[in-house]
Amino acid sequence: MASHSLDTLWEQYRQGRISRREFLQGVAAVAGLAGLQAIASACAPTPAPAAPAAPTATPETAVATPQPEAPAAIEPKWLIYSGGQDVPTLDPSDRTDYSIGAVGRQLYDRLFRFEGGFPRPIEPCLCERWEGSDDAREWIFHLTNKAVFHDGTPVTAEAVKYSYGRTLRFQRQRSNLLLGLLEEKNIEVVDDYTVRMVLNEPYGDFPRLLAYQEQWIMNPKVVKDHEVGGDEGEKWLIEHEAGSGPFVIKEWQIGDHYSLEAVPDYWQGWPGRGRLAGFTWRIIRDTPQRRIALLAGEVDFADTIGTEDVELINNTPGYVCEVNYGTLAGYFKLNNQKGPTADVNFRRFLAYAFDYEGYIKSLGGLGKLLVGPIPDGIAYHDPNVQPVYRYDLEKAREALNQTPYKDGGIELDFVYVTGLTFEEQAGLILLDQLSKFNIKLDMIPKVWPDMVAACNKPETGPDISMIFVDSGPLPDVWFREQWYSPTWDRPTGGSFQSCDFYKNPEVDSLIEQVRRTVDEEERARILKELQRMIMEDIPGIPIYVLPNLVAYNKRVKGFKYFGDISVDFWRLWIED
Amino acid sequence: MRLRDYVIRRLLLVIPVLFGLSVVTFVVSRMVPGDPVKLAAGPQAKPEEIQRLIEEFGLDKPLVIQYLNYMKGLFQGNLGRSMLNRHLVRDDLAKYFPATLELVLVSMAFAIVIGIPAAVLAAVYRDRWPDQVSRIIALSGISMPLFWLAIMLQLILGQWLRLLPISGRFDPRLPYPREITGLLLLDTLLLGDLKSFFVALKYIFLPALTQSLIALALIMRLLRADILEVLQKDFVRMARANGIPERIILFKYVLKNGLIATVSMLGFLFGFLLGGSVMVETVFNWPGLGLYSMNSALSLDFQPIMGITLFVGLLFTLVNLATDLMYGVLDPRIRYG
Repeated sequence: MASHSLDTLWEQYRQGRISRREFLQGVAAVAGLAGLQAIASACAPTPAPAAPAAPTATPETAVATPQPEAPAAIEPKWLIYSGGQDVPTLDPSDRTDYSIGAVGRQLYDRLFRFEGGFPRPIEPCLCERWEGSDDAREWIFHLTNKAVFHDGTPVTAEAVKYSYGRTLRFQRQRSNLLLGLLEEKNIEVVDDYTVRMVLNEPYGDFPRLLAYQEQWIMNPKVVKDHEVGGDEGEKWLIEHEAGSGPFVIKEWQIGDHYSLEAVPDYWQGWPGRGRLAGFTWRIIRDTPQRRIALLAGEVDFADTIGTEDVELINNTPGYVCEVNYGTLAGYFKLNNQKGPTADVNFRRFLAYAFDYEGYIKSLGGLGKLLVGPIPDGIAYHDPNVQPVYRYDLEKAREALNQTPYKDGGIELDFVYVTGLTFEEQAGLILLDQLSKFNIKLDMIPKVWPDMVAACNKPETGPDISMIFVDSGPLPDVWFREQWYSPTWDRPTGGSFQSCDFYKNPEVDSLIEQVRRTVDEEERARILKELQRMIMEDIPGIPIYVLPNLVAYNKRVKGFKYFGDISVDFWRLWIED
Repeated sequence: MRLRDYVIRRLLLVIPVLFGLSVVTFVVSRMVPGDPVKLAAGPQAKPEEIQRLIEEFGLDKPLVIQYLNYMKGLFQGNLGRSMLNRHLVRDDLAKYFPATLELVLVSMAFAIVIGIPAAVLAAVYRDRWPDQVSRIIALSGISMPLFWLAIMLQLILGQWLRLLPISGRFDPRLPYPREITGLLLLDTLLLGDLKSFFVALKYIFLPALTQSLIALALIMRLLRADILEVLQKDFVRMARANGIPERIILFKYVLKNGLIATVSMLGFLFGFLLGGSVMVETVFNWPGLGLYSMNSALSLDFQPIMGITLFVGLLFTLVNLATDLMYGVLDPRIRYG
């Protein structure tokens, strides 16, 4: 309407029917009116964009567990999600940040999906069933013949081979779990819907590894159509997709927001009572800002909420903040190669000297103490592992007396990430207790790149550091990344996860064995033994599992926690 | 010296300035502790992957060779690629710069539109309430932590009153306006889309208001002092004695003379805001160069850090040049040489 009035005014002015002053007054009036309209619309809820046609999910097309019920009952609505991180690339062969995963798995399908529920079971997606050879080297995956890419072509074994092959050739973060284990030449297309993979070495838990590695299956034709100078679509796939997932890209605004629109006839159908018309991933990096945006009604769903905001959100009518525990676990990493922490009794002393319950209380009770070296969401976790270290000053004294430092008089570094108060708080609690033993703790905040660099080798590694680790659902990966000595004892050094610099040939050997074992019982036995040995040797001190906090407007339905920060948008719907 | 020669000489001077800047940034970014390769490769990276990244980005070569390679690329218009996600830095700068430019322009507009009349009022009503109010605003602008102010504005105007959006650049529920210049306010006007224009205005309001505060405070105090100084001059007394109306004295003679220092500072402020919008962009999730530079710095992504520094450095020197030229326009006594 405003533009129409402006056109009329301009036409009148051009024809000399009104003066310049009258024209300018008219423009001001139109602009003022439009401003009032904008202010009025700012105070009213913004309507969602027009929704696509009603969902057409059918039970036959759904491979996964959820059964659709009355899919047309709820009108599809748009959801605004607030993530704490940008989505810098969508390339299925590149990085694996949580935000990239959260958006990417809406655009692409993979062999397996985590459906909900925790600990995470392996659920079929493109792969309906699988078989492994007795020596755990040869694996056959049978694909569904129902899946189609967004251009309507079927998702075949050829696409699976291409997708894994591209990732192995690119050798970026996405390939880290596969390199050395699987080679492109050993991925074979048996027929249109069957793929065989032959591994370089046995891996008894290979399907779980693939479920966690989460290779998104690309449409080879679409990728090849967008190649520039033989780059295998590298530049194009940063901001575009070639998938078969439940959503397609609608709008891609770098650094600001990303909008995805639902595929009405998605091959798996739509679970629940309805579905979303689409969703927008809106980047709000700061925790308090996400809470403000949620409670201001600007977003419907927000992840990584601050622990201090849980109560406020739950006390606000219409909102809920869920507290779940995944596998992001905090450890005190102790330098096993130099200084007092190289002494096993000194490490035990530290493990008994820390006030675990007091620490959790200081966090408002949000946090679950670790029992053993791996969180209880990991397969083969042993809840009865011994010893379990808890605050006990007598035992701490006993352990300290067996070291050359029984009179104290020493100083240790405690390194933590700058600005992370929950890490600083842990250090302060330890500092307080160590002072009773005449031991001084030097609190050193470092930015994350510095911490990564410090963990490169034992000489630069701090005495004690607080590090958070999440190695997914594969137990052997947890041990391999943290306590397998070839992980850090190599020319390129270690990562922040191996900052204990632990070396025990027996543990190394068991970690190698567990990968080769197909037998479930044998694997459980080895993993149980590994947990016991790590607790006995206590290379680092397992502290707690960080709560995973998401908050949402109660009109959002269908949220199921599956051990990850992000949500499965496929399952959600909005009810007003 | 003619104006043209002066401009050419100043433009040539930009080359050594940028060269020096590139050397310093290059050395500093390589010397700071941290391990960008490990960050980019991820925690599960195999040694071969780490080695491959080192070779891909030429980090295995001596520092001098690395620098020469960088400069070689620079002369071919190539600012390198991000180690983290392989984006071309040149493309990223083109994407993020318009958002920052728009924010700075609107902030400057706020500062000028509010600051100049406020300074005039403060000077005219010296030591009376308009002066006291402007003094409080100016002092707050200088001394109040901007991030605190930003959060308060978000809390009050966003969460409680629900009047203004607290983050982002445009309503994600609406179709994003077609980009012409990348400046959303301008683009929506060019498209004749007034609705989107006002949406974009709502989104830029809080970040621009926050960002403008320092500039506003400086303009208010500097201009007030200059106006008071000019008001004491003989020619003002003479004008008054000749019965020239006070309004004409103030706006025609005093303000023009008093503005010289402020205008020269505007150029500096513009450059300052262009290069220093990190905090505001972070708090308001404004997708501009500030946010881009912060993310790059946190992950020690060398190439974007270099690219941003050189780009902002170039802008800063050009804005300084423009300011100097403007100075001459306002004060004809100034000669270039």
